[in-house]
Amino acid sequence: MPGPPLSFSTLMSDEAKTIARGLQKRDPDLLDRLIEQYQYRLFRYLVYVTGSRERAEDFFQETWIRVLERGHQYDGKSKFEAWLFAIARHLVIDWQRSKKAQSLDTLTDPEQEHPLQLANESELSPLHQVLSHETEEDVQAGLQKIPAIYREVLVLRFQEELQIEEMAGVLSVPLSTVKSRLYRGLEALRGALQGGAVL
Amino acid sequence: MSESVHDRALQLIAQARVEGIAEAHSTWLRAHLDQCEFCTEHAHQTDRALRSLRTAVIALPDGLASRTQFRVRLRAQELREREPKRRALWFTCAVSWIFGVATAPYVWSLFQWFGQRTGVPKMVWEVGFGLWWTIPAFFAVAVLLMENSRRGEQADWINQGS
Repeated sequence: MPGPPLSFSTLMSDEAKTIARGLQKRDPDLLDRLIEQYQYRLFRYLVYVTGSRERAEDFFQETWIRVLERGHQYDGKSKFEAWLFAIARHLVIDWQRSKKAQSLDTLTDPEQEHPLQLANESELSPLHQVLSHETEEDVQAGLQKIPAIYREVLVLRFQEELQIEEMAGVLSVPLSTVKSRLYRGLEALRGALQGGAVL
Repeated sequence: MSESVHDRALQLIAQARVEGIAEAHSTWLRAHLDQCEFCTEHAHQTDRALRSLRTAVIALPDGLASRTQFRVRLRAQELREREPKRRALWFTCAVSWIFGVATAPYVWSLFQWFGQRTGVPKMVWEVGFGLWWTIPAFFAVAVLLMENSRRGEQADWINQGS
């Protein structure tokens, strides 16, 4: 007699638990597989957050070292990618703090006094250079106009397809803040790709 | 059509894409879009923008995964090599502490006897006893701090490169 059908969420949960068990044991084969499997998504996230391909590479490697060292902290109850992005984000924030004694949010939030200056408009920004060969011109130009704090939520929601609750965990902010950043980010993206004003 | 109707439509367009909307709102929005060119164009622009974002491609650096795998394996080896030493240290500290507690009354008497014999002030031999008793814990803390600072130095590469 066949057993009950396995749901997608059950499979996801089993996968997360398998990962958690492997990370507890610091299983090298599992880590190799995870690095392969999540390399594109993690690198893309880091490029959008840091705005620089070189920095994204550094943070990419450092993120996986942290995954190795702190793997025992992952309990398999949430999606692995959400935990992975949270680690990567904390590394970027620590780096920003040590560099300028400010958090990523204060550096990138356009409502703050000193928003992050990505690049001179007359020059190609690092993000623009990264995207320049792969996407349409208007996408490149549009994305580089959007503040990093909004790029980040757009990537997590519309590329990574994380739930808003999961995003709140990654960003360590309340749901209302995630939503407000998403609405602003969406408007900024639409405006930017139309060549209009951005936030 | 009043401005507030358009405002509501634009808000629902964004909400539908960010967190989803109820069926009743969706029905209302569809009916509005059927007769409002401005809001329809806004919805199309939003969808085009999201499509562009979803299809944007970033090229991976050559060998990024293999370089990372190599570094992670090296670090894992380091951690594995360090683990027995660490366990031995904790074991030694634990044994030392248990032994210290068990023998505390005798050692106290010994310090007291030594203090009286040599004429050392009471405060001095009491402090000596305290130090003798807490040295294993201080030693363990010192080793842990040294390990942490070494790890901090190793992580500095990331700051130097930027």
